Amino acid sequence: MQDKLNYFRKAMLSLKISEFEVPPMQDLLIIGKKAPIGPEAVKRMAQAISPEQFTIVKLEHAKIEAVLIRNSLLQMLDERLLMQIILEEADRLISDNMVLRSELKISVSVQREVELS
Amino acid sequence: MKVAEFMSSPVYTVSSERGVQFVSDMMNELKIGSLVVTDHGSIVGIITSRDIRSSHPNRIAADAMTPNPISISPDRFAWDALEVMEQHCIERLLVTHEEQAIGIVTRVALQGKLNQIVDPLTGLYRAPYIQHIGEHFLNRHQHFRLLFIDLNNFGEINKFHGHPVGDDFLVEFSNRLRTITNEQDYVCRYAGDEFIVITCRNENDAMQLEAALSQPVVIQNVTLSASVGIINGYLVPDFFSLSFRELISRASLLSTSLKQKSLA
Repeated sequence: MQDKLNYFRKAMLSLKISEFEVPPMQDLLIIGKKAPIGPEAVKRMAQAISPEQFTIVKLEHAKIEAVLIRNSLLQMLDERLLMQIILEEADRLISDNMVLRSELKISVSVQREVELS
Repeated sequence: MKVAEFMSSPVYTVSSERGVQFVSDMMNELKIGSLVVTDHGSIVGIITSRDIRSSHPNRIAADAMTPNPISISPDRFAWDALEVMEQHCIERLLVTHEEQAIGIVTRVALQGKLNQIVDPLTGLYRAPYIQHIGEHFLNRHQHFRLLFIDLNNFGEINKFHGHPVGDDFLVEFSNRLRTITNEQDYVCRYAGDEFIVITCRNENDAMQLEAALSQPVVIQNVTLSASVGIINGYLVPDFFSLSFRELISRASLLSTSLKQKSLA
């Protein structure tokens, strides 16, 4: 009887609100071969959220199945070169059941010498 | 012996956006080992229980399936289907007619049936195989050459060296047949020491094959020759009005007369 008098239940509610980034991914998603989400699903998601802005590149790699990459990056650098760099760096971090996201910024610096007339 | 006789139907399909777990449940419910994956009504892949085992359960069918499934017409021979599966290292073939999936054939089902017409000693197909091929070409009015190959003095080999050695000779000769024939030829061990080749090669290539088959071969220091009775479909009047049985009889008689000449 004593126990029943002291008995109560309560719930705590915590609410965090922040802005949803569109698109939710950044410049790159690197998809492992056994990742919970595969390249086709990622492609469809990207197409639904950011139409025509991302390309999926399927790869022959021991751990990585594909890379989703922002189209603008492919316009700035050769795809093969870009993939080579991404794979070299991601290979050290990724396991085949992971999906990594990455930011990739390309800045070009130009210095030219011109003759003065 | 056509693919249509061995295929299972109807074909069950699943949409490419469905999850792997859904696909697995569907297969269990239907008690089948594969589903055809479609996207807006078009076939985009095939998903098997093996694909499901090797995929994360959160994936969608499009990411677990084998894309661009290989298909075959229901009118093709069962052994052609088996060959396609072996070439591509796959267990299932989609059977399509006018771009519509009408069934699925599995390697296990075909292998089981075809093993019944494979000669266990040489691994070559037996007489029913060549019967199907010959009748098929006759029905389609497609010319071919029939080569009836009878090994000379094979009885002597058995008598002097024993039957196990005779079997070795048959195996060696069968391997030679495999080596000198190509995809335009159909080979079978017809009976004991008799083999049949149906060839659709052109004149020159066919003559090369005939010459190669007529050449004696040395196996285990014993020279083995064969008498080859040839029926050339292009030269036989009313070729397509003859039965395949009649063609075999004629070729076999030719081979016997050649054998008698060589002995004389």
